[in-house]
Amino acid sequence: MIELLVTVFSATFFVTVVRTTTPLLFAALGGLISDLSGALNVALEGMMLIAALTAVIVSVYAPWYVAVLSGVAAGAMLGALMAFFHLRLKADIILVGFAVNILATGGTVFALSRATGGDKGTSINLPSKAVPAVDLSFLEAIPAVGPTLKSLLSGHSILSWLGVFMVFAVWYFLFRTPYGLWLRGVGEYPAAPEAAGIPVAKVRAWSLVASGALAGIGGAQLAMFNYIGFTRDMTAGRGFIALGAVLLGARHPVGAMLAALLFGIFEALAVVMPNLFNWIPGEMIQTIPFVVTVLALILFSYRAQRARQMRTLSKI
Amino acid sequence: MAPLLEAISIGKTYPGGTVANDGVNLSVSAGEVHAVVGENGAGKSTLMKILFGIEQPDRGEIRLDGKVVSFANPREAIDHGIGMVFQHFSLVPSFSVYENVVLGSEPRNGIKFDRREAIEKVRALSEKFRLAVDPLPPVGQLPVGQQQRVEILKALYRDARILILDEPTAVLAPQEVEELFVAVRALVAQGRTVIFIAHKLPEVLEISDRITVMRGGKTVGSVNARDVTEESLATMMVGREIALRVERAKGRGELACEVKALKLTAESGVTIAQDLNLKVHSGEILGLVGVEGNGQAELLEAIAGLRPLADGVIYLNGTSLGPKSVLERRELGLASIPEDRIARGLATGSTIAENLVATRLADKRFVRNGLLDLKAIKANALSLIERFSIRSGGPGYAAGTLSGGNMQKVVVARELSEQPKLLLVNQPTRGVDLGATQFIWKSLTDARDGGAAVLLSSADLSELLALSDRLIVFYRGKIVAAFVNSDDLTAETLGTYMLGLSSQDPESMRAALQ
Repeated sequence: MIELLVTVFSATFFVTVVRTTTPLLFAALGGLISDLSGALNVALEGMMLIAALTAVIVSVYAPWYVAVLSGVAAGAMLGALMAFFHLRLKADIILVGFAVNILATGGTVFALSRATGGDKGTSINLPSKAVPAVDLSFLEAIPAVGPTLKSLLSGHSILSWLGVFMVFAVWYFLFRTPYGLWLRGVGEYPAAPEAAGIPVAKVRAWSLVASGALAGIGGAQLAMFNYIGFTRDMTAGRGFIALGAVLLGARHPVGAMLAALLFGIFEALAVVMPNLFNWIPGEMIQTIPFVVTVLALILFSYRAQRARQMRTLSKI
Repeated sequence: MAPLLEAISIGKTYPGGTVANDGVNLSVSAGEVHAVVGENGAGKSTLMKILFGIEQPDRGEIRLDGKVVSFANPREAIDHGIGMVFQHFSLVPSFSVYENVVLGSEPRNGIKFDRREAIEKVRALSEKFRLAVDPLPPVGQLPVGQQQRVEILKALYRDARILILDEPTAVLAPQEVEELFVAVRALVAQGRTVIFIAHKLPEVLEISDRITVMRGGKTVGSVNARDVTEESLATMMVGREIALRVERAKGRGELACEVKALKLTAESGVTIAQDLNLKVHSGEILGLVGVEGNGQAELLEAIAGLRPLADGVIYLNGTSLGPKSVLERRELGLASIPEDRIARGLATGSTIAENLVATRLADKRFVRNGLLDLKAIKANALSLIERFSIRSGGPGYAAGTLSGGNMQKVVVARELSEQPKLLLVNQPTRGVDLGATQFIWKSLTDARDGGAAVLLSSADLSELLALSDRLIVFYRGKIVAAFVNSDDLTAETLGTYMLGLSSQDPESMRAALQ
């Protein structure tokens, strides 16, 4: 137990948490945007998966940033695809989302085997690249706190820093710009923006595209930093955990970040625990993030219900 | 003077063949309040949707300032200075008043939404047009009358010269109607033009300068408000003389239903109503008065068995209803015409015949050995369609294909096909045309004369005053006043109690509650 605590309170663990949180954070921000626009995006999972594979394959031939952008583009295109089926052809958004997920599961394996020349499990024989880590070694020069700062802040993926910025950017967009107002209005009560001449379907379509693009960054981080290379089903439910993070974060970007961080911590625990407790089956440990998601959501809806009761009581 | 807005021989046929407008003419002069009246289904709403660009006409043209215009969508109508306030408000509940007002045309500062300017603009508008609203609270927390002002502000913010109000008074209490009229007069005084859709004639006569009457998708004519009376307008609307008067009960019978110390709570535990004590005798109609949301609807639900009792008892002819299921209550002679015919009164996807027997599936006449007797069901439907003059394609048509008035008649027919002992009625004629209203009122008084005790709730005070023998007023879940109906009792008097402005002394209340 002591060993576990020592591990948890080490700088290395913090770095692991940031690493595991980053893909969840991007997916959660994506889920947040489409959820607030009134289209629940259950396809985050599939979008991340396809973006991850796209990024890996492109990174073989192009620089890392082109690879990341291609992952973003793949996610955005899937978002546009969903928008087309849901808004133009009036298909149910949940069904469309699951179609994307199923397409992703099968399609990535197929594409992977074509790209690798037959390997249906991993892209291990593709020389794919990684997203660079940001080296902040100069911080060490600061007296007293320098070494600690360096070990906490240095070595994170450049995308993790982007993630922190995106939380702010999404918040600013949603709550400080007219378009954010439109988006939230469309999600809450579409008749109102419609009467005001706001193109409701267009707002939703762009939200889905943005949602896909953000999930795409998450996928790229997963396959170009957390792991180098693609493994089949490597998203392992992160898209759904991200949806949970949207709800748990009370549909607010900062809340979503905190929720993603919570799930990231438990995922990081699942990473370090097998080394410390080799008597617990690895599979058990791997279920921790999912169990925590379910528990957190139960707790959340219970508390939300209580809060509603308190609110109505206080009004009378 | 040349008219500001003209619609000339407008024709509109919906897919499916409904002719909504057929050669409609409308001519509105600048600075007037122009009322468009007609029964439901007369084509008023379609005409307004065409003027506001929601629908496009198949024939005819619209002229604004003498120039022909056509609007492909509301945005273009707004850009031409036309604003519309719908009966169902288009407001985002969690947004503040000012956010709702500026939504879609926000003041900007770079890419930033300039909140300060938005708030100032809304303040300035509300002062200019005497539409007092605080810009800051979320609209979901405001009363309906204020929400309506927000809607009007929205149109004015977009510089509407012509403001279309679609049945604006339907959701308001009498005092709120007065406030609305003050605002409408202020608008006209500042050079705006108001088109006022309505079917409550006294209000129309009070507020408007000119009146255009529509019937069956055509314009019947335009008249000056001061040249007509309520009766002559009603005749124009319906095309025949109609008497919206009903016979009062001749005398009441035994005590049928008694509610004692009833308390109702919402799922969240909040008290909806408390200390409810009332008696209804057979052969009388007891009107439940109150602004919607003050506990009347919940009382009816509780008696019908759709809502648990938190405390207290309800007796029907001496039997306590508390432990009885809905079906058992119906067997005791309870019938209920619910508020929402589409969600609760009918299965809109099922046929008329099926709907008419839906509450009688234990009846041996319609169900034998667990199988439906289709022949008997059809015969039942045919006779009820005849008796209640339901206009439909036949018993095999889906209930959802009927017009509002005929749907409501199906509900009424089902509930009254056998004489009930206790009849619960909520909003019997909401969205129903005058002809059907007359018929439904007659059906209710027939049920009363047949010995039913009737509890009637309605948002329409004139309906309550026309039908009820006694009235009780709800305010914040309590009975605050009770009256024996008479010609001296006015909507204004009821209104002051409905809004909690005055209170009745316990003596006269007790007397009227007996």
